[in-house]
This record gives sequence, C-alpha cells and structure tokens, in this order.
Amino acid sequence: MAEIELKNVSYSFGDRVALEDVSFELNSPFFCAVMGPNGAGKSTLLKLMLGLLKHQSGIIRIMGYDVPREAGKVRRLIGYVPQVIDIDYRVPMSVEEVVAMAALSRDLPPRIMTGSVRRKVREVLELVELDDPSMQFSELSGGQRQRALIARALVSDPRILLLDEPYSMLDFDMKCEIAELLYRLHKDKGIDIFLVAHELSPCIHLEPIVILLNKRVYAIGRAGEVLTLENLRRAYPGLTEVPAGFILGEDHG
Amino acid sequence: MALDLLALIYLSAAANGLLVGAISLPLIISRSTLFALTMTHAVLGGAILGIYVNEVLGVGLPIQLTAFLVALMLSILVAELSEKFFSEDVSIALAIALATTITVVFSYLLARISPAGLSQAWSYVAGTSAVATLSDLQRTLSSLAIIVPLIHMTSGEIKYISFDRDGAAALGLNTRAYRYLFFALGSLAASTLSMSIGVLATHVLLAIPGAIAVKLFRRKLFTASYLSAACLSLGGYALAQALNIPPSGGIGILSAIAILGMVVAREA
Repeated sequence: MAEIELKNVSYSFGDRVALEDVSFELNSPFFCAVMGPNGAGKSTLLKLMLGLLKHQSGIIRIMGYDVPREAGKVRRLIGYVPQVIDIDYRVPMSVEEVVAMAALSRDLPPRIMTGSVRRKVREVLELVELDDPSMQFSELSGGQRQRALIARALVSDPRILLLDEPYSMLDFDMKCEIAELLYRLHKDKGIDIFLVAHELSPCIHLEPIVILLNKRVYAIGRAGEVLTLENLRRAYPGLTEVPAGFILGEDHG
Repeated sequence: MALDLLALIYLSAAANGLLVGAISLPLIISRSTLFALTMTHAVLGGAILGIYVNEVLGVGLPIQLTAFLVALMLSILVAELSEKFFSEDVSIALAIALATTITVVFSYLLARISPAGLSQAWSYVAGTSAVATLSDLQRTLSSLAIIVPLIHMTSGEIKYISFDRDGAAALGLNTRAYRYLFFALGSLAASTLSMSIGVLATHVLLAIPGAIAVKLFRRKLFTASYLSAACLSLGGYALAQALNIPPSGGIGILSAIAILGMVVAREA
C-alpha cells in the first residue's frame, strides 16, 4: 500500500483550474519535494491532502485512509507546516502557545497546559534548536519562525510532515539550515517529508524525489531525471534560456 | 433607600465592566474590532425592530432577544460572506448597511404609529441606566454567567484560529464552530451592554480594555482587561454622577482619555 496515493485528482476555484488530473504514488520512506511556479497548485495540493479543501474528482488516500471522508484520521498522522505568509503575527502568541496547541488539540475543551505537555513542547523545541519557549512568535527571526512551526507539527509525533514553502522569506544559508533540519528528522526520526516549494536549490543535494507540477504533474523521479531542460520548459512557461543555462522566473501565473 | 439605589448603580457598573473585560480581549486579539462595529449597529436595528413589532402586533417580545438575534444573524452573514465571496471589510460594510437600513426604516415606521416607541428606541443609542434597576443587574449577571466561562474555555482556540486559520483546521479544530460561538457571545454581550449604557458607549468600551491589556501588558492579559474595564465602567458612572450626565457620557469621556493615554505611552 502506498503511503500517499493520488489518482486523477482535479480541483478548480470556480472557473479557474488549480489542479488537473494529478496522479502519483509515494512509498515510505520518502523525502519528496514538489516544485512548480507560482500558481501551479502546490498549496492547493497540500490542502486537498489534508482535507481542508474537497477535490471535485479523483481519489486521495493517505496511509490507506480516504480524504476527505477520513480527514480526521489522516490529520492525526500528518504534521502540517503552513506558509509563514498565512500567519497573522499581530496576534500575541508565545512559542510555547503555538507549539502546545498541537498537543492539546486532541483533547476536549477546556484545553489546559499540563506539565507533561510543557515537557513535550520543550522536547520538540530542542529538536528544532529553539531554546526559549516564552518568546513571542512575532519577535522571532524568519528561520526561528519556521523552526517553531516545524516544532508544532512534530509535537503530535506525525508519520508525515507536509510543508508549504518552508524556504520562503529566508536567506539562502537559512534555507539550507531548514533543509538540513528536515533531512535530519527524516533520517533520524523516520518521518516522511512532503514539501512544496518554487525552488529546490536548498535541498537538491539531499537527493529528494521531485514532482514537477504546474496544475498537472509533468515529471516525477530523482532530481537528475526530472530537472531536465525539456521538462522545465514544459512546466515553466516563463523559462528563459541563456548561453550558460536557463533562468526560472519567480512569477509565471 | 438612596444608598441602596447608589449601591445598585455601582454594582451594575461593576457587572458591566466584567462583561466588557471578558469579551474585549478576545475581540482585540482575534482582530475583530470591526465585527464589534457590525454587532453594535445590528443591536440598534434589532432593538428598534423589536419595539416596532411589539407596537404593531401588541406582543411583549423581549427587546434584548430581538437585538441579540439581529446582531447574531448579521455577524454570521459577515463571516459567511468573507469566507466565500468578499473581503472582510466589504462584508462588514454590507452588514452595517443592512443594519442601518433596518434602523432607519423601522424608526420611520415607528415614528408614524408611536412617538413614545421612538423615544424608547432612542434610549438604546444613549443608554437607559442613569437609574439602575434590579432587573438591569439581573440581566447583566445572567449574561456574565453564560459569557465568562465559555470565553475562558475557548479563548485559546479563538486566538489560535486568528493566528493561523489553516493550521488550526489542520489540527482538527472546528474553526467555523468556534467563530460562531464567539459571535454569539459577542452579540449577547453587545445587546446586554447596549440595554444599559447604550450602543455608542458599548462600541467604544468593547475595544478599549482589550487594547490596554495587549499594548501595555505581556502577561495576565485577561486580568488586565477585567481591571481596566471595571475601572472605566465604575469611573464612568462616578464621572457621570459628578457632571450630571448619563453614564454613557462618563464612560465615553474616560474611554477617550484612555485612548489618548495609550497613544502617549506608545510615543514615549
């Protein structure tokens, strides 16, 4: 049984097609990166896998569970790291509060932070190399924010981590640090990684499985097989060829 | 007898303060102060609609109930419109336009059939509790008994949903149910407060204690919100008594001073 299985999945926002006939399978263990231009449907794909959106046709199964019918069971197996741009920093939240809610969310209200939850929070913060749980989320650097969100996803001991643009708004060194952290979690803790990004350079040396996506899947496989000029030209309409190679533009609608 | 009346007035003021303190902080941290605007406009429309229906049909509908229901319906309308169709600002503007239309149309109709009814409706704008009654206090205490425990049970989740809506949904929190519960509690608080201190003072007062807590304190935010709300409410009543104006006037003056104080503190 494939850990992640999508068959002919399509999704549209009104008349605008976001994903069309997307199919792929991933067997554990995997470190997978979905690459595609802006507007390729990468975030939509993650939201469909979590059951936050309901696909209009096709089948999605995560570890044998049907999404969205069994989305509750799926969410217990998955840790989700959203795009930092979707977070409202103006809401006053400490790092401890951000991480603890993931542990408390399985209980019924009132959700009270117990000693064991505090210990668990400190444990995962150590894992992602954050040491002050009392800091306000808004006061963290970009890399620390990403680490705090990864800690939140880890606190419920997930089998799979789904990450939406984990390298966005970071400098290149920080992107590489986040990529190394994810790879360490994959190797040491056995957590499967499924991330979407519009650039793979921070993690390309970690030899991820790459899915090239722009509304539909153009290629899937090891980076060397997938990232060919021919595949990229098909998936990235704005690709510019220059004598030394090619340039992938940021915005390809 | 005079002492009893005075005690009743200040007990009502303290209870109003607690009610504001409970709802103001979640309103501020969930970035919902514009929702408060919808709620207070809707409370006024609902109160006038209730008075009109009572006059025309000769029934005895509780005005607070119609005010609460209209506020709740328009809050939910804003939530649904902003979820599916428009930005939040546009949805709020639409709901306020609807609430204002209800207010204007039914005020006009009420004026034609009952001038006394219209003056009763106006009391919801300026506030009625220059003289508090036992029923005022009972009404506020009943609302407190519902709102305070529910807010404390769910404020963490409400805050979390405002912080990261998709993340909260991915954790399995029912984001829509929490938002609706919050709107219901906000509408109940707004309709209860409007009955005693009026719609205008309610709108001002709903935002300030939460803002004071968030801007000036890092911990014990609820305690700060309760204390500042109680001070504003009790101080407003005392000031109103000294200046011989309605309580809403005293609360309005103190609220303005509190806002200026926050601006000065931030600049410093």
